[in-house]
This record gives sequence, structure tokens and C-alpha cells, in this order.
Amino acid sequence: MIILDTKGQAHGERRGFSEQQEPPLFGATAIVSAAALKERFAPTDTDSLAHTGVSLTVDDDLSDMAGYFPHLAMVELVFSQFKDGRPFSTAVVLRRDFEFKGAILAAGDFLPDQALFLLRAGFSAFVVPEQFTAKQFKSALLAYSVAYQPGLGGAPDLLKTLRDPPTAVAAG
Amino acid sequence: MYTYDTLDKALLNQRVAEFREQVKRRIAGELTEDQFKPLRLMNGLYLQTHAYMLRVAVPYGTLSSDQMRKFAYIARTYDRGYGHFTTRQNIQFNWIELGSTPDILYDLSEVDLHAIQTSGNCIRNVTADPFAGAAADELDDPRVWSEIIRQWSTLHPEFSFLPRKFKIAVTGADADRAAIKFHDIGLKIVRNDAGDLGFQVFVGGGQGRTPFVAPLIRPFLPAKDILRYLDAALRVYNQHGRRDNIYKARIKILVDSLGADQFSLDVEREFEKLDPDLLAVNEKEVERIRDMFALPYLRPDTDAQAGLEQAMEQSNPLRRWCETNTEVHKVPGYAIATVSLKPVGGIPGDATADQMDTVADLADRYSLGEIRVTYTQNLVLPHVRVADLPLLWAALDQISLATANAGLVTDIIACPGLDYCTLANARSIPLAQRISERFADLDAQHNIGPLDIRISGCINACGHHHAGHIGILGVDKKGVELYQLTLGGQGNRDSAIGKILGPGFDEDGIIGAVENVIATYLNMRTIGETFSETLQRKGHSPFKERLYDHT
Ligand code: SF4
Repeated sequence: MIILDTKGQAHGERRGFSEQQEPPLFGATAIVSAAALKERFAPTDTDSLAHTGVSLTVDDDLSDMAGYFPHLAMVELVFSQFKDGRPFSTAVVLRRDFEFKGAILAAGDFLPDQALFLLRAGFSAFVVPEQFTAKQFKSALLAYSVAYQPGLGGAPDLLKTLRDPPTAVAAG
Repeated sequence: MYTYDTLDKALLNQRVAEFREQVKRRIAGELTEDQFKPLRLMNGLYLQTHAYMLRVAVPYGTLSSDQMRKFAYIARTYDRGYGHFTTRQNIQFNWIELGSTPDILYDLSEVDLHAIQTSGNCIRNVTADPFAGAAADELDDPRVWSEIIRQWSTLHPEFSFLPRKFKIAVTGADADRAAIKFHDIGLKIVRNDAGDLGFQVFVGGGQGRTPFVAPLIRPFLPAKDILRYLDAALRVYNQHGRRDNIYKARIKILVDSLGADQFSLDVEREFEKLDPDLLAVNEKEVERIRDMFALPYLRPDTDAQAGLEQAMEQSNPLRRWCETNTEVHKVPGYAIATVSLKPVGGIPGDATADQMDTVADLADRYSLGEIRVTYTQNLVLPHVRVADLPLLWAALDQISLATANAGLVTDIIACPGLDYCTLANARSIPLAQRISERFADLDAQHNIGPLDIRISGCINACGHHHAGHIGILGVDKKGVELYQLTLGGQGNRDSAIGKILGPGFDEDGIIGAVENVIATYLNMRTIGETFSETLQRKGHSPFKERLYDHT
């Protein structure tokens, strides 16, 4: 399945969610489940982790893997269904609380109309779900040029945020 | 009134263009109904029993006269000549063609109106005190803060796919005309001992299957931190709210299962982690918005009341209307006038295009061009000179909108029920009409005094029946429409959930039951005692005995 980054550029493929990635995806030569990550690696295996990605379901508990995140190459967050918006918060928390600096990939069931939300919540790229086309996602990324909120979790600043950057208030 | 600047407009225009494209794809068959459904719902477009229904937001219940005229135009051009004001400060158009919806949204956008987030599991239209900016008992204008919350919550990247819908209400007055404790988050504007402006934060109120009055989880939140705190609360909810059972997905269930103290701790912990500057409310932005809501100078007129007294001497109907349908304004010599959308035997909340146009004209003439929409399904003209009340009343009377029943027994809140809604168990509107006809006599209504009847066609409680002095809930018992009666709800500062009185009634039976409840009250009340006060003093038993021993 095609992977698009947040600029709408194609970025390799995710082959049936296999573990091995050739060519590497955002630096990850393998993408493993949460269970496999904990079984095969210690958080101190930083060299290996630098080439590893982990694929997380909505039910995986991040705090279980806290020690790994600063060293992992990428994290894939799988949407169980588009209505379940937990991965949006997971992405924000990954960046803020778990010092994760690598790429965050969205996979699973989501809609083209969520593409901008994904990138603004801090995702780096997404695996285009089978029932949609890359073209639909690319045009969805261009649907808005403005937003009311600052980009979250280190999201690329593709959009102008409304009005001035915040300053302290003494309202009333 | 808040008016959109170029940035607000850009976003709105892009939204309209996006939906036009989606509708085109749906009509061309490129999108299945399944794929289209979430997209149309994000634009407030429902498929009801007979047709598409478009729900348009009235932002925090405030409308300009031009916006009202646009509703009239839409009712006339795309619908059957009327609109329905809902129990959530929205308007619904019930007979819409799918192909027209992009044009409707475009027309609305010309006057800064939209249907964004009027459905779906996102942060909905913010509710505010309908008397905002006019009420004498107000500490600060809740619309300023509602607009800030509107902006922050519009197309929020993280909080548009929550476990369930999310409703925020703001009041700046002690009287609480926005029923904030029945919302997912209720915000009451307060000052602390140092005189700083801030909020009391209530979380986890709601109606539906499991009603709750929201507990207070933050006694004082500095105003500048409002978005940071909302962000924290919403993140806790988005991550931990239940998604396995639609009936347990609202934040009230999370707050109840964790306990208010634990929930509050979780939010505080998240709040502390957030960069205090990132979402700090910008002082300049607050002032920009505040300026737009500021009232022009209104000259106090302390003699006006005497003139009105004279006019009322001449006209008993005028007196009755002034007694029930007007409230004290913060400027002496001005009044807040309620335009009742509950004519005897009418459909609660319905207004024709002609009525909307006339109300818009009257707002221009008598109320600085401003109109409010209440969750009790009435309209309000917030800034009327006391001296103009007789003229306003006469003009409203000509279009059948001068019923002197605000807050009385025929000022019934009713959801659309079985006549429109696919989820309904029972009819609400015909029941409201029958009760209204039964108590049509205005003298009798005024004799009964303040009494709040609320009807929901199913447990989703869109008719707020839990919070009615008398609540009526449509239930389905083995294929038969029945109505359950609750007594003792309150939707104000002393929010309370009504208690079920006993087994349900059929349609004729429930009318008789309401009559009996009211007769029981009239028998027991002491001089000047309202229905609620009598109920509180005597408890439910006398009502129960009367109903179930005599029916
Ligand atoms: S309370 Fe039930 S019947 Fe009434 S509008 Fe809501 S969902 Fe429909």
C-alpha cells in the first residue's frame, strides 16, 4: 500500500504489514508488534532500535514501552476504525511525553478527510487505505490553508495558524 | 456581535468548497452512502424519516437580524417555508434535497453561519446564556469565551473523533440560563478573592439514559488557561472514554466511574504537562472579540417604567406579556423580551419564514439588530427600550408570536419525536400540542405560575425531560407507545434530575396525568408557592397517590 508523507509525496510502500521493510521505511528495516518489541529488544539495544519501527494498536499501552521510544526509528499507529480517534492523542503524547523524535506513520482505517488532522496532530506520513486513492488524500491535504489551532506535537507548520502567537493574558 | 475576519472566512469558504465536492462525488456514485455518511454528518446533514435534515448552528445562541433573514430565505427557498429551533440553540431544516446542501451552506457562509460540528462525535456548538450581554446579573459576557472556544474547537485535529459528542456551555450569571451542569463541560464565569476573572469548571453532566448533574472539578481556573484546561480534559477523555458501548461513551460515564476527584487529578496532571504558553489565551484576541460584543452606549431611562405602567393599565394582555415575557436589563429603561415560539396548539420551536423575517425587522427596530435563541426553543430580543415594549408586543401579536407564556405550563420543550426522528419511540410534538391546547386559557396558566414541561420521544432526552419540573419520556413497551412521567427536575442553578413517578401512560392517559399533577399542586400550594416549591415541601407521594389511585 502506498505511503504518502505530509506533503503528499509518495514515500515507498507498506507491503501487507510485513515485518521486513525493503527499502527501509523512515529508517526502519523492520516493523514489529509491541509484544515482539519487548520480547526481542531491551531499551538499551539502541543500535538495533535505531533501525526498528513498532506497530501499535489502539489498545497498546505506551507507558509499557516508555524506555524504547527515544531510540526507535518509527512508530506506526493503527486505526482500528476511522471513528476511533485515540491515535490522534497517542501521536501528541508520543512526541511530548515519550521523547519520540522519529516518524509517526498512520495505518489502518481512516478517511482522506482526516489527512489534515493526521498531519496536524504530529503524524509524519500515512499508509493510504486500500479503498481510497493517493489522489483523494493529496487533494484532502490541500483542502484548507488555515487552522485555528497551533500544529500539535511538532507537526510541520504547513498551515498558517490564525492570528498572533499567544502572549500572556490579563483579561477582565 | 462577532463578525468573521478574512481568516475566519477563508476557513469557512474552504469548508463549503470541500463539501460541494463531496456531494458531487456522492451524486455521481463515486462515494457510497456508507462512505458519504460520516462526511455529511460532519456538516450537520442527517437522513431522517422522510428526507434529509440540515442542522445549522446558532453560535452560542446569538443571531444578527441579517442572519435571521438568511434562515427565512433558506426556509423559503430550499425547505417548506419554515424552520425548527432545537433544544440546543440550533435550527433544523427538515425537508432538504441533497443536491441543494452545498448551495445552502454557501448562502449561510455569506452571513458567517455554518453547520460545522452540529453532529458527529466532536465538540458541538457551544451553548451560552441567551441573555448574555444584557442580563443584570451577569459578571462577564459568556459569548466572548464561547467564541474563543468555538475557534479552538473548530476542526480540531485531535478532538474531532471523540468517543461521543461533546457539549460545552458557558454562563456569566448566577441564574444559569444555559443549564451548564447538564453539559459535558459547564463553565461558570467567576472572580476569585483577588478579583481575577476565571471559571468554575463542571465536568460530566448530561441527560440521556444515565443522567448526571456535573460535579465541580476545578473551583477556579484563570481565564487565560481555559483552552489549556479544555485541551487537558479532552485528551483524558479521548484516551480513556469508553468506545465499546455507545451508551457508556459520554464523558459523564468516565467521570462517574473514576470518581470526580480522580478525574480531576488526571486532568490536572495532563494540564501540568502542557506548555502554559502554547494555548494561553491571547490578550489582544480577547479584546478584539470583546470589542465586537460590546454594547453601544445606552442612555438609562428611569422614567420608562412609569410610562409602561400606564400602557399596561389600558391593556391586560400587554400586562400579562410584560409580566411573563420580559426580564430586567442591565441598563435601566431597557428590557429583555422573550418571543414565544409556543403558540397554543403550535409546534414548539417552529417558525415560518415570514415570522423570521418580521422578527429580524423588529430586532432592527427595537433591539439593536440582535436576536437570541434559547434552548427552551424560544427567541429573545435582548435590548428593547421599556418604552417600546407596547409597540413590540403589538407587532409580535400580529404574527402570532406574542403568546404570554414564557416559563408557564404551555412553554413546553419537545424534541421532534416520532414525526421526524428515526430513533423515536413515541410522538412528542402532538403531545405538546394537546397539553398546550388543554391549558390554553392564559388566566389559568398565569394562575398555575412557573412550570416547566419537557417531552422527549426516547431516552436520548433531546427534549431535556430529566430537567423538567414535569418530564415526559416516550418509551416503547412491546410495540406500544407509552409515556413515563418524572417530577422534580430543574435545569437552572439548582440543577436536579426528575424522579419517575410510576408506570407509564398511553397518550390519553398522560394528558390526564399531567392534569392531575397540576390539580394536586393547586390543591396543596400555599399562597405564592410555585410548583417546584410545593413539590419540594410535600415530596412525590401526594402526586403518586393521586395519579395511581385515580387513573
Ligand atoms: S429524544 Fe429521541 S426521539 Fe427525540 S429527537 Fe432525540 S433521539 Fe429523536
